[in-house]
Amino acid sequence: MFRARSFSVLSPIARLLATAPLAFASPALAEGADILSPETLSVTGTVSLAATDSEESWVDRGFGKLSTSGDGNDFRLTPLLSEANLIWRPRFSWALSANVAGTFQGGERNEAGISEAFLSYKPMRGANTRLSARAGLMWPPVSLEHEGADWHVRDTITPSAINSWIGEEVRPLTLEGTFGTNVGDHKLTATAALFAANDTAGTLLAFRGWALHNRRTLAFNEQPLPPFEPEDEGYQAPFTHPLLDVGPGFAERPGYYAKIVWQPPIPVRFELFRYDNRANPHDVNEDMEWGWRTHFNNLGVAADIEGTQIKAQAMTGRTRMGYEEVPSGRHWIDMRFRSAFVLVSRSIGKFGIAGRLEAFETRHRGSWWDEEYDEDGWAATLVGKREWGPFTGLVELIHVSSDNPAREHVQLESRQKQTRLQADLRLSW
Amino acid sequence: MLARALIGSLSFLLAAQTSAAPLTVRVLDSNGRPVRDAVVTLRPNGASGRPSATGTFSVSQKDMQFHPFVLVVPVGAKVSFPNLDPTRHHVYSFSPAKKFELKLFAKDQSRSVVFDKPGVVALGCNIHDGMTAFIMVTDSPWTAKTGANGIAQFANAPNSPGRVSVWHPYLRAKANVVEQNVSAASRSTTFTVALRSPPMAMSDGY
Repeated sequence: MFRARSFSVLSPIARLLATAPLAFASPALAEGADILSPETLSVTGTVSLAATDSEESWVDRGFGKLSTSGDGNDFRLTPLLSEANLIWRPRFSWALSANVAGTFQGGERNEAGISEAFLSYKPMRGANTRLSARAGLMWPPVSLEHEGADWHVRDTITPSAINSWIGEEVRPLTLEGTFGTNVGDHKLTATAALFAANDTAGTLLAFRGWALHNRRTLAFNEQPLPPFEPEDEGYQAPFTHPLLDVGPGFAERPGYYAKIVWQPPIPVRFELFRYDNRANPHDVNEDMEWGWRTHFNNLGVAADIEGTQIKAQAMTGRTRMGYEEVPSGRHWIDMRFRSAFVLVSRSIGKFGIAGRLEAFETRHRGSWWDEEYDEDGWAATLVGKREWGPFTGLVELIHVSSDNPAREHVQLESRQKQTRLQADLRLSW
Repeated sequence: MLARALIGSLSFLLAAQTSAAPLTVRVLDSNGRPVRDAVVTLRPNGASGRPSATGTFSVSQKDMQFHPFVLVVPVGAKVSFPNLDPTRHHVYSFSPAKKFELKLFAKDQSRSVVFDKPGVVALGCNIHDGMTAFIMVTDSPWTAKTGANGIAQFANAPNSPGRVSVWHPYLRAKANVVEQNVSAASRSTTFTVALRSPPMAMSDGY
């Protein structure tokens, strides 16, 4: 008996992948295309040696904020292949190119997947205007610490709490456009984007608190959540998929982000970024992953003062999940989050030094998690860097001190301090 | 550096020059440090003439930057743009003195442009936002670029008063130019200029 298949539920992503080969086969792309040559491929990798004390990392389902685990009062020595990236940047024409980054992450858990895959359109600019657009999976333009096609951290090994969270939970499927112009000697740029499939942004931040790591979430992969109290099991899956549309259909309630950049004729730059995923906090799927209505604002400042670079970001946001309690109207989770850092760095020939100070907090006012779960913490980071051709060596000392009441779920004191000394060797080819 | 500034000014000389009085111009910033890549132009009173448009000039693209950062050429010169990088570059200028666009494939593709009007030409690359350079197209036989020592020398400057102007892309003045008079007697002059900081290196974008 022949059974007809129904394709009515073919997801838009699969549809895009099915039609992509047709675009590549088009003869219109023949002139000026560079699809698969040695120049379009690059490889980067990092090997590390870390000495970490104190608690188990969140990667291991603990509450430790770093990506490596400690051994209580002792330091645990961990050699690891931190990451390896294969980056493919084909160019289809003078205006159209793509960026695909495949990543392997080692350490407490080994993972592989796509970290970015997007198309970029940048036609010839005008005398006083420039337009560009991007579409696909890419990190939103928030972080002042990351750069490059492999989204690596420039001055330190560990990114700030703010940018760590961007890399782990703020990862939508996006359509983004940018417009730039000059007003006298001032440069202004405005970016606007629509996105989907970032409904769960806020889950890790709420249940684990802030963290500091570059273990960004690869497309379709999941991140672990720390354990819940036994009586709280069954409300939320023990994991979260950042790239997920929890509600029915695809992109029924798209989110948006917008950014403005102002570069006056002095070496200081100001950036303002706003994000709102417009997710429905009542949505839940069969895995018990919920929609989290998350929005945040991020202010960034970058300055160059006689060769010393100063970067600072301040973020404030709110996330809500679950049903409203009667009569208070409070959602199960209603959390405000805030963090800020200042990073100072300087190059001295082939050497570089950097120092960063930051603070972070969460304020829970939900009906399920209330102010008893509020987190406070700070971190200090000091790094020395040296370049040898394609190699970069970094040595980092980082100290995190935080008070997170959820630690009592694993029978730990809520206030913990953690210190790590790490040496990284990066290769870029 | 000094030799290059000297040779640069010599190539613009007219055939017959009777009384020459060498002129030295020094450019310093507000901290007293020498300024390189400043273009110094001497216009003696009563003297006229065009620089000869001979010589080969080029602005190459290497290691994701233009080389040199400032190039001085006479009006009518032909400048080639060899791409020495493994990636392609899309060179452009919107300056009134010359508007053009060059698509240069990777590895040694080169095209040329004739610069037929005097003025400043600001170069960019549409693909790589950090690439920037300037071409000064001059109609004066006495134009030179300062080297690392901040000095421009005119060995065959005429022995007459005139006007000296200094241009630099980051000079904080109208049209990025400051000017001074020179007399027949003073053959050495110093400019102290206020420079704004070079544009911040933005990340290469996401």
